[in-house]
Parts: sequence; C-alpha cells; structure tokens
Amino acid sequence: MTDTMKHTLLFVFVGVMILLEGMTDVLFFSGSWNSALVILNMGLISAIMAIGVNIQWGFAGLFNVGIMGFTALGGLAVVLVSTPVIPEAWSSGGAGIVMALVMGALTVVAAVMITKFMPAGRLRALVLAVVMIAGFFVYRAIFDPSVSSVEAINPALQGNIGGLGLPVLLAWPAGGLLAAGAAWLIGKTALGLRSDYLAIATLGIAEIIIAVLKNEDWLSRGVKNVVGLPRPLPYEVDLQNDPSFVERAASWGLDPVTASTVYVKAGYALMFTVVLLALLWMAQMALKSPWGRMMRAIRDNETAAEAMGKDVTRRHLQIFVLGSAICGIAGAMMTTLDSQLTPGSYNPLRFTFLIWVMVIVGGSGNNFGAVLGGMLIWFFWIKVEPMGILLMELVTSGMAEGSALKAHLLESASHMRLFTMGLILLLVLRFSPRGLIPEK
Amino acid sequence: MDLLNALVALTNFVIVPGLAYGSQLALGALGVTLIYGILRFSNFAHGDTMAFGAMVTILVTWLFQSVGLSAGPLPTALLALPFGILGTIALALFTDKTVYRFYRQQKAKPVIFVMVSLGVMFIMNGLVRFIIGPGDQRFTDGERFVISARTFKKLTGLDEGLAIKTTEALTVVTAVIVVAVLFWFLNKTRTGKSMRAYSDNEDLALLSGINPERVVMYTWMIVAALATIAGVLYGLDKSFKPFTYFQLLLPIFASAIVGGLGNPLGAIAGGFIIAFSEVTITYAWKKVLTYGLPDSLAPDGLVQLLSTDYKFAVSFAILIVVLLFKPTGLFKGKAV
Amino acid sequence: MSDNPYQDDHGNKDASITNLKGAGTMQPAHQKSGPTHKVDGGPFLIGDTMTGGYGKGPDILHDCTIAVDKGEIAVIVGPNGAGKSTAMKAVFGMLNVRSGTVRLDGEDITQLTPQDRVIKGMGFVPQTSNIFTSMTVEENLEMGAFIRTDDFRDTMEQVYDLFPILRDKRNQPAGELSGGQRQQVAVGRALMTKPKVLMLDEPTAGVSPIVMDELFDRIIEVARTGLPILMVEQNAKQALEIADKGYVLVQGRNAYTGTGKELLADPEVRKSFLGG
Repeated sequence: MTDTMKHTLLFVFVGVMILLEGMTDVLFFSGSWNSALVILNMGLISAIMAIGVNIQWGFAGLFNVGIMGFTALGGLAVVLVSTPVIPEAWSSGGAGIVMALVMGALTVVAAVMITKFMPAGRLRALVLAVVMIAGFFVYRAIFDPSVSSVEAINPALQGNIGGLGLPVLLAWPAGGLLAAGAAWLIGKTALGLRSDYLAIATLGIAEIIIAVLKNEDWLSRGVKNVVGLPRPLPYEVDLQNDPSFVERAASWGLDPVTASTVYVKAGYALMFTVVLLALLWMAQMALKSPWGRMMRAIRDNETAAEAMGKDVTRRHLQIFVLGSAICGIAGAMMTTLDSQLTPGSYNPLRFTFLIWVMVIVGGSGNNFGAVLGGMLIWFFWIKVEPMGILLMELVTSGMAEGSALKAHLLESASHMRLFTMGLILLLVLRFSPRGLIPEK
Repeated sequence: MDLLNALVALTNFVIVPGLAYGSQLALGALGVTLIYGILRFSNFAHGDTMAFGAMVTILVTWLFQSVGLSAGPLPTALLALPFGILGTIALALFTDKTVYRFYRQQKAKPVIFVMVSLGVMFIMNGLVRFIIGPGDQRFTDGERFVISARTFKKLTGLDEGLAIKTTEALTVVTAVIVVAVLFWFLNKTRTGKSMRAYSDNEDLALLSGINPERVVMYTWMIVAALATIAGVLYGLDKSFKPFTYFQLLLPIFASAIVGGLGNPLGAIAGGFIIAFSEVTITYAWKKVLTYGLPDSLAPDGLVQLLSTDYKFAVSFAILIVVLLFKPTGLFKGKAV
Repeated sequence: MSDNPYQDDHGNKDASITNLKGAGTMQPAHQKSGPTHKVDGGPFLIGDTMTGGYGKGPDILHDCTIAVDKGEIAVIVGPNGAGKSTAMKAVFGMLNVRSGTVRLDGEDITQLTPQDRVIKGMGFVPQTSNIFTSMTVEENLEMGAFIRTDDFRDTMEQVYDLFPILRDKRNQPAGELSGGQRQQVAVGRALMTKPKVLMLDEPTAGVSPIVMDELFDRIIEVARTGLPILMVEQNAKQALEIADKGYVLVQGRNAYTGTGKELLADPEVRKSFLGG
C-alpha cells in the first residue's frame, strides 16, 4: 500500500466514523445527524487550530503552550466586532478607558526607553521604579472610575463597552489580527531573550488572557458571559416559521425542527470547510515557497542558517505570529458557532494540550497530518465518553447489582476521556513518533 | 500601638500565608528543577504527580479516620503521608520503566521527553479524576489553629489578631526539614553527589562509572516524595481539587525558572519570590495602611493593586522581569 | 532532520522546557560490552592495526597502530584532521573499529564499552568538558573514584601532592579555576581510579606556554611513578621532547613511528610537521 493510499484511507476512516455517527445508533454511535454535524464542525475548527500549531512547531520548532489564550482572543474579537454599539458606554467611560490604556502603554514604552537609553546604575533603577509606579497609579486613577461607569450601564444585559455592530464574519479575520498582535508582543519579549523561553511565556500569557477575560467586566462581561452573539446564518426558529423552508423540508421527508438544525449546522460546516481549505492551501503554498524552504533550513540547522545571514529570531517571530493568528481565527469561528463567549470554559487541557495531541498524532510538520489529527482526535474526545460507558458496562456486567465498586466505575467512566487522550499520545509517540501522516 | 497593630495585620495577612504558600511552591519547584537538571526536560506531569500523591494520602487518611487512628492535634494526613510517598514512588518508577526509559535508550531529544510528559500528564490527570473524582476534597483534621486570632488578641491586648493555622505551621516546618535533608543528601552523600555529577556532565559521569539508570531511579524517587509532600501540604492548607493542582504548574514553573532552572537553591528562592509577590500584589492593603499611616493619609479604597484573579499575571510578570535582567534566573541555572 | 525520529527536535532550543547543558554527546561503539579474551605478549596497551569510523560513517582510521608500554610516555602527533584524537578514541572504545584489536595488559578488550574499559584500568581525560564545573575540586576527585569501594584517601593525597594547588582550592568549584588548574583537576580525576594506563587528549589545548611547560613537568612526574601515558598533542615539538615513543599520523595512517628523539631528528618529520 502506498503512503498516499494509506493517508487517504485515514481521512476516509474519519469521514466514515462521522457518517456512522449520523446513520446508526449501534455501539457508541448516536444515530443523530445533529450530533454528527456538531462533531464535524468542532473537528473542522480543531483542524484549523492544529494547522496553526503545526506551522509553529512543524516548520520552526516553536513550542507554543498558550493556544488557549489565542483562541480566547479570537472569541473576544467576535464580541468586540459584532455586538451592537452601546453609545452610552462610550460617552460615559469608553474614552476614559481608552485613555487609561494608552497611558498604561505609554508607561511601558517609557520604561523600555529608560532601560535602553539610560546608563545602567542606581539612578536608572530609581527613575524606572518612579515611572512605573507613577504610571500605574495614574492608570488606575483614570481607569477605575471609567470602568465603574461603563459597568453601571444596564448591568443585567450589558455593562460592557459593547462592539462595533459589524457583520460577524468580519470578526474572524479580526480575531486573527488580535491574536497576531498578542503573539507579536509575546514573541518580541520571549524570543528576544538570550536563550528562548517561549514555552513558559505562552503558558503564562494564556492564563493572563483568560484572567483578563474573566475579570474585566467592561470588556466582555467577564464570567457573566456574553450570550446571543450575532450569527452569520439564520436562526432555527425563523426557518421553522418560514413556510417555504417547511415545505422543502417536508419534500425531503424531514420534520421542520430537525431540518432547521441540520440546515444551520450544515451551513456552518460548509463555511468552516471553506476557511479550512483556504488556510490549508495557503499553508501548503507557504511550505513549498522559498520562504518555507528557508524556515525548514533554519529549523534543521540554525547555526548554519545564522552563518548565512538569516535573521533567525525575526523569522521565528514571523512564524509565531502567523501560527497564532490562525489559532485566533479558529477561536473566533468557535465563538461564532457557540454564539456565546464564556471565559470560564477555557481550560488549558482542552484548548492547549489537546491541540498538541492532535498535532503530534496527526504528524508534526505535515499540514494534512494536522487536519487529520484535528478531526480524528476531536472525534475521540467526544466519543470516548460513550465508549467508556460501554466498556464499563461490559467490565461491571459480572459484578453484583448495587456494589459500590460497580457504581463508582460506571460513574467515573466519563473521566476516561483524559486518560485515553494520554494513552493515544503515548502510543503514537512510541510507535509512530512522526505521527500518522509524517512529514515528507 | 498602631504600628504594632499594622505589623500584626501584615504578618497575619501577608507574611504567614506567603510563607506557607512559598514553602509549597518551593517544594514543587524543587521537583521540577531536579527533573530538569538530571533528566533534562520540564515535566508537565508534575502538577498531576502532586495530585496523585495527595490523592493516595487522602485515601489512606480516610481509612485511618474510619478506624479511628489519629495524630492527636496534628492532621491524620501526616500519618498517611509515608504511604502516599510510597504509592507515588511506585507510580513514578512504573512510569519511568514503561514510558520514559525507552526514550533514554533511543537517546531522544529533551523536547520529545516534554511531549511524552504531556501524555503522562493526561493519563495521571485522568487517573486521579477516575479514582477520586474531579471535585473538592477536604481531609484536614486535628487542631485548627496554633494560635487563633482571639487568643492572640487576649494575650497581647492588641486590636488586630494573629492567626496561625496548624497547617501553615506544619507546612513551613516540614518544608524546612525536607529541604535540609535534600541538601544534605545532594551535597554529602555519594549517591547525591553522583546525581549532581550526572547533571553537570553526563559523559564524564559515565566515564567515572556512574550508572545513569541508577541516578534516574533515585531522581524519580526523590521527585515523587517531594511532589507528594508538596501536594499534601497544599491540600491540607487549602483544599484538594485535581484541576487546581494541574494549574499549580504555572507558578511552580515560574518559581523554578525565576530561581534558575536546575538550581535547587534557586527553586526555593523562586518559590518564595513568586508567593510573596502574588500575596502582596493581590492583598488589600487598607487595613495595614490605616494603622500605619496618620489619619489624614488613610486610604479610602481597598488599596488592592490587582484583583486576586490576577495572581498568575503576577508570577508571570516577575518571571519576565527577572529573565530580562538575568537570562539564566537569579541563581545561575546550572547543575543540581 | 535526524534519521532517528526520536531525536527529531525540530530545532527547538527552548530553555524553559529543555536542558541541553551537560547532555551526553558520547557515541560509544558498543552499548553493551562483548566478551574479552586473554592474549599473550605485546605491549601493555596497544591499538593494533585499527580501521574504523564513527557509527556507520566512513573509515577515518586505516590500519593505524598505537601502543604504549610500562613506564613510557607515548605521544600521537600530526597535522590537523590527521585522526590523532580519533585514534585515541578508538583505543578507548568510542569508535567502530571494523578491523584490528585493542589489547590491554594481555587481554583483548575490543568489544568493551568505554565504561568497562575504565573499570579494566584505563584512565581517560577528554579534551573538553573534562571536569564537573559545578562541583568542588575535592568532589571532582571523589567522583573520579566512584567505582572504587576501598578507601581512596591515600590516592587523593597523592593527587594533592602531585598538584599542590588543588589542595589549596579543594573546596572551590572547579569551574572557577584557571585553564591550567582545570586540566590538573581533570588529570587528577582520572588518576583517582588508580588506572593502569592514562590517556590524555590534548591536555595543553588552550593554556598559556608557561602553564603548558608546567603541565608537561607534571605529566613526566606521573610517568615516573611507572604509569604508562598515551597522549595526543598539538604542540608536537615539546611533546616529542618528553616522549619515549612517538606516532606521527597523517590521514588516519601511521606515517612515522619512533622514539621521540628519533622523530625530532628525522629531517622529513622536522620539515613537514615541526616547522623546520
């Protein structure tokens, strides 16, 4: 069997699994097209995230463990771009907040300038401390009252700065931009240090981003969540009330409720597939371009590349920003799909380390591998729970009814998910360390 | 008198909790730094190793409590701790034998070990949730306070009380003992020295007849013990929840890196630096300042620099500042 | 990309997750020791007509023979890239010797790992990274004696007598010492096993001429105790002056062999390798 055939079969396998999920309810399948499409949609988004990480790790060996943060920034972009404008928020405190943020930024810039241009010594440390502390208090003095006035506006529903009221699809590239901006800042600091500290920097920043989203109520309502975000597709209720849609559904032999949910989810699937294919195509083009060849040359021998006059840090920064932007886009897509932003639900196991499992299992350095890994691992992530319950029922079938162990085992079956992900990762790392679709 | 009150308030709300939290972080960071120095990778499963150790200890504690065994005023968990350590050592050695050793034989690059540790992290995380569930578990018993706020007020006649929880005192005392034993082991014993030698220069260690597998075995045993102790102390002081332990990874890594990865002394210093910066920056200083400053200057607000949810941000900011000025950490990151 | 997928790190050098400092780079010819057998006669230590290279790579040595006998100093010299260090590493088991044998004290040790050769009595001082920089001088010596189960305080005293400066600095981290002092620590560490033969890979690399002279004096002193010394040297002239036996290698082959004096007197050798 040739490699191409094997790889195609792997994709076919994932496809068949999702089809079976829709068609039959034997074993762990649910037999619901709705569920199949839900898996497919998040699988497509996961595949996009995996491409972003694969670009960083596969092409440049950058170990990013802050994927969660970039995804969350994408989500924030959806709120900031697509929710309606709240004029009162801007008139009462918006300007103050912007001014405070500018002040904060200026303080940081001033601090950087001082460290750069003043001779090292006690004086510099003193000036630096004074500027930083003064800057912080000025920032808080402007920031705090503005924030409380913004948060006071209709707190049950809004209490935040609102958005721009633009079409939600614009939020996807905006999410990419936001993530790229953050990545630039992180990369500039962490990659510029004498030896790079990217992993710990991204790990920390991701937590900070989530902390900001959870606490800065003026921005995205914090843990109160933003719900009912605008969506690019019609609402199911509207479809069900549309006579022509009901008629068409009837002609396929579907009831209106099922038809409308499937219609909307299929619509998302289509849009996500378009984005995925576009990004995949671009990633493939980039990989084959002189730029991609240079990236791989740097990866395989950094010293030689440096000797040839390549600015390695700059290239690394470039690719880090690009990869993070892709994660940001995926994050925006995910928030659009959920049509809500819930900062409390971001968890590094799910949003950072699971993506790593996808990349490693799929094949680091291969974009198709990343896509496969994204879809496959997501399928397992969802289906391991029913599989676990099935397994536990089998294991406990011989046990006495009402035994404590049996109850515990059945109850804990749902926790097998993390265990299984670890097992899959270890098995792949051991027996197929380059992943299912290895880099050529 | 006001100054005394301010001092007591400071001790009560900043210094005592900071010392306890710092000790817990230091013990965690020591484990990370030992693995980094000797096995040469950052172990992402460390938080979950701590959770596993704490879990075994909790289960044994419950067993002891159910048969009525107790340590008097001290938490029963102290009696269960040795069993927790043994269980975690068994798990660590089993993991090494079944997972990590293969990669050593392959002479795999450290970053591959990092990925492997991600897999181990998932498995341990799942295992702990599978056995004890994802929820909060409390297992502290015995005397709650060494000094309660009320007793302190009665004793001294001050307005401010100073409360020292048993678990806090226990944490600091245990940490001091453990660190002293560890340093004695690393610096004075033949095995300890061979571990440092292996960390310093693997090739030369081999040529000197040091058996790497033995060094690795001892390292895992020590790290498992450290992780269990840190996990149990943290759980006693706060509470046990698997996800919290996983999240401790960031401050623990930050401590180890701030101090200089691979340097045990640095790990301890780093632990306290991170702990105290978190506590001081997220503490509402109103009380202390009201006592400490003349009435005209007394603050109106809470004088809290940042909300407590930003404690991760604090660890991280400290980390960046340190790395900007000292790229290898405060104590030059070198051999164990 | 590395051939071994487990060694493919994608060029990652992230210091916050991986520690590349002090990691092993040694690629011994054997991971596990094979059998040894007795052979009669011959010099005390000999690498006999060795042909081989690193791993599966091309041959670097071609029928190269290096030997040293009791009470002798043997020196390997030659131009850059002649395979001097390689020849010594072959004797020490770091090279795939495809034909030829290595014999020590009447025993064929060709199949042994470097570690087991140390146990058989070979003391080896690598050219670089030859001390534990973060450990004190005394700890370095203790680690040298790691395989010994008997009391090694006498040996340590002997090392201190040989290198008095080390006694003064015994509690100082070895990494803080000067270049010459570090080399003394390195040699001292190797002597702690009470080796039957001492092998030095360019002991004077990177030290000043004065220090170099002193190091040579010490090496002669060690040799006078009856310990055979095999040494690779860049400074051919000085090295041959103290050598009982000299090997001039060119492109992995023996070009000239003789006593130090003979080689120094040989006009061909003088012209080609000693600068006239």
